[in-house]
Amino acid sequence: EVAYSQSTGQKEQLSRCLQRGIRRVQDLCKVLQLPTVFEETAVSYFQRALQHPSFHLVSLEKKELLGGCCIFVTCRQHNWPLTMGTICSLLYAKQELFASVFLSLQKELGLSVPALSLADLVKTHLNSFRLFQRTADIPAPFVEDEAKMVTRTTQIVELASETWLVTGRHPVPIVTAAAFLSWQSLRPAARLACTLARFCKLAGVDLPPPAHLRLKELLEILLRMASQLAWLRVFNVDKKTVVKHIGDLLQHRIFLLKNAFHLEDGEEQGAAAPGEGSPVSPVAGGAAQEQGCPSEGKRQCDEDGPRPLLPPCLIHPRKRLRTAAPSASDSAITGDEPISDSEIEQYLRGPEEIQAFRKAKAWL
Amino acid sequence: FKDDLSTSPQLFAPMSPYDVDLPLQPTEDVLFGSQFNQPKELPTDFSVDLSFLPDITPDNKEQNLSEDGHEAQKELDGSVSRNDDGGIFMDESSSSNPDATQPSPEGSGACLPLTPMTPMTPVTPASERSGIVPQLQNIVSTVNLACKLDLKNIALHARNAEYNPKRFAAVIMRIREPRTTALIFSSGKMVCTGAKSEEQSRLAARKYARVVQKLGFPAKFLDFKIQNMVGSCDVRFPIRLEGLVLTHQQFSSYEPELFPGLIYRMVKPRIVLLIFVSGKVVLTGAKERSEIYEAFENIYPILKGFKKAT
Repeated sequence: EVAYSQSTGQKEQLSRCLQRGIRRVQDLCKVLQLPTVFEETAVSYFQRALQHPSFHLVSLEKKELLGGCCIFVTCRQHNWPLTMGTICSLLYAKQELFASVFLSLQKELGLSVPALSLADLVKTHLNSFRLFQRTADIPAPFVEDEAKMVTRTTQIVELASETWLVTGRHPVPIVTAAAFLSWQSLRPAARLACTLARFCKLAGVDLPPPAHLRLKELLEILLRMASQLAWLRVFNVDKKTVVKHIGDLLQHRIFLLKNAFHLEDGEEQGAAAPGEGSPVSPVAGGAAQEQGCPSEGKRQCDEDGPRPLLPPCLIHPRKRLRTAAPSASDSAITGDEPISDSEIEQYLRGPEEIQAFRKAKAWL
Repeated sequence: FKDDLSTSPQLFAPMSPYDVDLPLQPTEDVLFGSQFNQPKELPTDFSVDLSFLPDITPDNKEQNLSEDGHEAQKELDGSVSRNDDGGIFMDESSSSNPDATQPSPEGSGACLPLTPMTPMTPVTPASERSGIVPQLQNIVSTVNLACKLDLKNIALHARNAEYNPKRFAAVIMRIREPRTTALIFSSGKMVCTGAKSEEQSRLAARKYARVVQKLGFPAKFLDFKIQNMVGSCDVRFPIRLEGLVLTHQQFSSYEPELFPGLIYRMVKPRIVLLIFVSGKVVLTGAKERSEIYEAFENIYPILKGFKKAT
């Protein structure tokens, strides 16, 4: 008698699974319209992975995801900006399960997965926007030139990256918010009244929930930059009207960023704003270095002065119960202290209590 | 097996002792299998320590093989004492002058196990030390009560116990001081989580054992072992994670689509660090607190050097 696991029968079954898996990988590559070389790479990763002990015996569900993971890794290695969200929706997969398979694959096969290129993501994401051609449901003033939109959206995403809005955040909502601002700014008169939600609906794309917050953060950055542009100080620029000037702000962004914010290591604000006489007061800069004003809560202390260029989580720290550092008495614990009976008995039920509990359980 | 409490991707769970939905395997045999099958651990002095071997990069590969080659043979044959300077080696990009950070070959060759471990001259000069001490946030320990337990009985007679066999095959018990949670299995094995120090974890585990004793079981207290330690601290400046993952690709995993922090798998000591844009760092996977401190002292110059470059 030979155990099934040692018979050739099992090997045949595995290769059928492998064949099916390979076909699935190839089909997905065709759906995603990937170059042929991607398909070859993904299939080879898939074969390697399936033979690896940690994937050999995983559930069929995971094996299906494994194929998608191999495609995802291949795309990233070629700087093809495929997001996890996209591949998960194609596989009808739960993102947590995909994530765990991806991390295992990366670890077990020792694959190096380069970071997602935001610039490339902008191009592919905007490609799915239905705003570049005249159709029945899109009003004429809303149609935009794709190349212009890609350029401006990329610039806004770069601005977001420089001002700490990108690190640690989901990339797609940032691109969505940037696309919206760029689209509005290219023809503000007709488009200012359109909301982010309507914009996404018209464009035929999903509105990811964080996009609203990213939009708010971007507008805050732009407003601060606007405050440093001399000819804008005449107007009362607010978060609606600043959109009209995004073109100018992007053009002078390097200069404006330097003046609107000061860097962590206390760089002096030397240069004055164009056309302005007085330099920014270093005192205001010093005060702004503290994390916000406790008395004002979330509002910025000084609307005109530079604030430190920090990630939003440091500018608006969420009130957290700081666990106290271990006290002297805590540190004196040896672990061998005597344990009193009374202390233990507090955790035990008395006989009446047990009876009552039993009765209550019977009712349930 | 790979996915144990200390290093699984679900490693965030042990930080909250009151989180009932701990992602543990239901059969505790899987949990304890590796621990109890290992031979009893000898003091670290007697384990072969290869920390003197630098990372293999094209630059220092030849150089170190010639310098340390002779000592390497000696040390691989016998037992050596732990090399305190080992931690520096995992970072090949930190110093343009590799000689400055390597210990003298004579020094490492001469260490004998009989010599008590006096702290060697730290390679990181005091002026570069961070001055920040990671705070321990959670300790996970295990102990064997060495008797079969009737979990239903325990849940009935103990006030601080929860038992939901359909959900999880263990009693979840809590005590107020030290504030901890215990998972007690019918085999008599127990896991204790939530303590802020090794001593507190041991004291807590003893209290749980006493509760079980008072409930009428002949509980013992065998093989108490710290399985995982979690620490955290704040470097107080923001960090460009996208840059860090580029320069330290072989150790880092940064996927903002999955998780906002960068996962840094340090080789020496074998610690996993979660590094966030805010500058907060979580360190986990340690069996001794010195590993947490050492890991942080290793990562701090990397993070600091990185800050200036941007």
